[in-house]
Amino acid sequence: MTEIAHHEDTHAVGHGAPPPRHGLAHLTGPGYVRAAWVTPLFWAIGFGIVVFFRWLGGYEPTLDWSIITVVASLVMAPIGFLTGIGAFDYWLYYMSGRPSRPDDHSSHGATSWRSYFRVNTDHKVIGVQYLVTVFFFFVLGGLAAMLFRAELAQPDLQFVDAQAYNGLISMHAALMIFVFIIPAFAGLANFAVPLMLGAPDMAFPRLNALSFWLLPVAGLMFVASFLAPGGAFATGWTSYAPLASDQPLGQVFFNMGVQWAGASSIMTALNFLVTIITMRAPGMTFWRMPLLVWANFTTSLLVVIATPFIAGSQFFVMFDRIMHTNFFTVAEGGYVLAYQHIFWFYSHPAVYIMMLPGFGIVSEVIAVFSRKPVFGYRLMALSLMAILVLGFSVWAHHMFVAGMAPWLRVPMMVTSMIIAVPTGVKVFSWLATMWEGKIRFRTPMLFALGFLSMFVLGGLSGIFLAAVPIDIHASDTYFVVAHIHYVLFGGSVFTIFAGIYYWFPKMTGRMYDERLGKLHFWLTFIGFNGTFFPMHWVGLQGMPRRVADYAEQFGDWNLVVSAFSFLLGASTIVFFYNVIISWHRGPIAESNPWRALTLEWQVSSPPPIFNFDEIPQVVGGPYEYGVPGARHAVLNGDRAGVATSEPETVA
Amino acid sequence: MRRGSLVRLVVYGVLSGVVASIIAVLVPWLPTSASEEMDRIEFVFWFTTVICIAIWAIVSAVIVYAVLKFRAAPDDDTDGPPIHGHTGIEIVWTAVPAVLVTAISIVSAIVLAKNDDAGDNPLRIAVTAQQFAWRFEYPASAEGADDAVTAGELVLPVNQSVKLTLHSLDVIHSFWVPEFGQKSDAVPGIETTLVITPTRLGSYSLACTELCGLGHSTMRAAVEVVSQEDYDAFLAAEREGGGGGDDGEAVFASAGCGACHAFGPAGSDAEVGPGLDDLAGAAEGAGVSLEEFVRQSIVDPNARVAEGYQPDVMPDTYENTLSDEQLDGLVQYLVDGQGNGG
Repeated sequence: MTEIAHHEDTHAVGHGAPPPRHGLAHLTGPGYVRAAWVTPLFWAIGFGIVVFFRWLGGYEPTLDWSIITVVASLVMAPIGFLTGIGAFDYWLYYMSGRPSRPDDHSSHGATSWRSYFRVNTDHKVIGVQYLVTVFFFFVLGGLAAMLFRAELAQPDLQFVDAQAYNGLISMHAALMIFVFIIPAFAGLANFAVPLMLGAPDMAFPRLNALSFWLLPVAGLMFVASFLAPGGAFATGWTSYAPLASDQPLGQVFFNMGVQWAGASSIMTALNFLVTIITMRAPGMTFWRMPLLVWANFTTSLLVVIATPFIAGSQFFVMFDRIMHTNFFTVAEGGYVLAYQHIFWFYSHPAVYIMMLPGFGIVSEVIAVFSRKPVFGYRLMALSLMAILVLGFSVWAHHMFVAGMAPWLRVPMMVTSMIIAVPTGVKVFSWLATMWEGKIRFRTPMLFALGFLSMFVLGGLSGIFLAAVPIDIHASDTYFVVAHIHYVLFGGSVFTIFAGIYYWFPKMTGRMYDERLGKLHFWLTFIGFNGTFFPMHWVGLQGMPRRVADYAEQFGDWNLVVSAFSFLLGASTIVFFYNVIISWHRGPIAESNPWRALTLEWQVSSPPPIFNFDEIPQVVGGPYEYGVPGARHAVLNGDRAGVATSEPETVA
Repeated sequence: MRRGSLVRLVVYGVLSGVVASIIAVLVPWLPTSASEEMDRIEFVFWFTTVICIAIWAIVSAVIVYAVLKFRAAPDDDTDGPPIHGHTGIEIVWTAVPAVLVTAISIVSAIVLAKNDDAGDNPLRIAVTAQQFAWRFEYPASAEGADDAVTAGELVLPVNQSVKLTLHSLDVIHSFWVPEFGQKSDAVPGIETTLVITPTRLGSYSLACTELCGLGHSTMRAAVEVVSQEDYDAFLAAEREGGGGGDDGEAVFASAGCGACHAFGPAGSDAEVGPGLDDLAGAAEGAGVSLEEFVRQSIVDPNARVAEGYQPDVMPDTYENTLSDEQLDGLVQYLVDGQGNGG
């Protein structure tokens, strides 16, 4: 295995460090100083546009704060911030005919912690930026959950009122889904996918940077809705019309926040697609790609096809409010169920957007820590494609009791049942990968096994919900809450933790503390099951979801659930302590501590600024553990000894 | 695979299946059924549970076996055998689950068709949902008679197939009595239906299961399953009382005022909206007579919003949904109740 040492000595000069600035350049150069004045400037332009046209048209009142909020605060100010921070600089230079600095890598790579707070085009820096940002929102979303679990520990209202309660549950879900799970996978893939492909970076590094910077905008927009008159958006993350069209102003913070997060998702997905299709190293055929790459390929297709639908659904709700359109106003001919059809046409595929990248991570981890090839590699890739296609045919299983056309229920049940088959194939293949392996129970593997067992439970409760008669009873109850948490926490979040621990040495160049990692796993595993398992029967026995107050009979179990939820919350403290301490002064990591074959482990930890000194030559599959003499790729002039018969796929 | 390891694997599977079965039997998963439809739902539930326990037993047995048996020794740096796959076994684990879920689908589809079937001559009751109350309209005593009864309580005769038609006046609500199993949203602009055949006498609770705003968790209603004679007696008594009544106390209950407002004489203590025990003071503050203040607050709730509360929360449809007599009765009830609340 060849290490590329001292790489930074040859490249760091002139890269990473911005040119020194003097005088006015501090105000006009990209950065927080410029953002500090450009953001209010853009806000003022938005304000001016609204007031001018309302004055021109003679609309009363001229100062309509709900419209000003949408235009100035939720559209113009974020654009101003992105402009100020420098996300558009290159394109603006290009458009205005100024020199576009093609060879200036001043915003590429990290030289100190400060580099992570600037617009940076290095996919490795962006990956870390993503992860740190999403864990910030993970903490906020988790605190919201702690607050409403405190409220739910006993029947009746103790700590918050009904509107605040509805705000907390909506905020929890919006933060966790849109600015934690989905972008956490984008962050991990941002770091790992170009390395795994043998590429120097993503296909569109500047677009990549812009995608990232949209994310804090979306997350802060959600959180800022607490400051709106009437409080935060309070209609759940599903935000059903017509309730959502007639709520306090905080609702538009959700409608618009989803747009920013969605734009970020779509741009990243396009970037992944182009990167995966065009930037594979020579010899990296589709059937030699690691399953993480396959997973992000299918996820990106899902994102690109589905995300515009949720964007549309949220625009319609907002237009009903501020433009007096009537998409969902029954008295004016609106059709209420259209919202749910459009919303779920995105939001069911979104479940797979939140699941498939985790499947990819688990495939990497289980193969590496079992020291065996992934069992049935091709079927694993094909089952991802099957889920992609079937994922678009099951959305109405969220609407079995919604009053939609009755005939639609049985076909949607059948497709929902069938999609369990490719998912089952993956589970069985992971089990077979472990079979007769040489398993090492390091922290990533523990989380992968935790995922495997918990996700199976989530999948089985999914079969209950797919069966229409059971769903009619269980829909909108705590059984559904239990199911989605077994899928999204036991599934997605466990795989996110597996991925963080797995790539931590590669990202930071340091090892995490194994004992703390295992402690984190067991606390999370116990806290998770204690929190969510009782919800199954609490729901089936009759407790609806999204209620601030509930019948006395559910008091005891809710107390148990709340107690375990606090344990679950506390378990993350161990994680953050471990990550921060290890990042600061953990033992230096080897380039390949797991003895993995995929390409990201064949370069130094952390990798050099452009990943590879020389584009690697891929000569075999990514999981050839136990095959004598097998290699996935050769690097750095080592290719003389290996036949290179494959045509080059990259120019 | 040696015979010894196969035996161990089977033992783990059986143990895991027994543990799961014990959990399945001991935990009261479902409420005691009170309708024919819930009986059928229970059948699908247990049918699915048996299949799921079998799948869980297999998966967990393999995980436990692998964790115990295939743990690498600390000094063992070797790799496992390079097994890349096995077409036969991959076909099996694709086909068998497909057969199982198809079986569940078929059973579900049959039960769904039965649970949708109200028979030839169901009792028809119209359910109207609005923030945050339920109203039930019972059929007239004879074709063409205008003695239909409206009440805030759902009373059903036992062993009689009932077809509910659901409407909503504002946002989406959802009708669910856990013991009946059946559930449907009440959607503005759409008529949805629900079939229930109660089989057990008793009192139950209807809960709204679709987030409908501030008072969502208080949007409940009482449900009674009674004998046919008691049902007829209930209807007769309601008709005697003037078809749902313009008696203010009855209107307060049937319109669901108590779901959001605390009012001493009615015994309600909800905190979604402002309390109604000191309206005289509020009217004085607004500079209008008490009666005028109360009436306007009901028909046009956004005209004056009490401090600390949001506009647009209380429905502004009561002028249309209550008759003039009912409105008069409600206003009188609230005016009379001032000063003697608790």
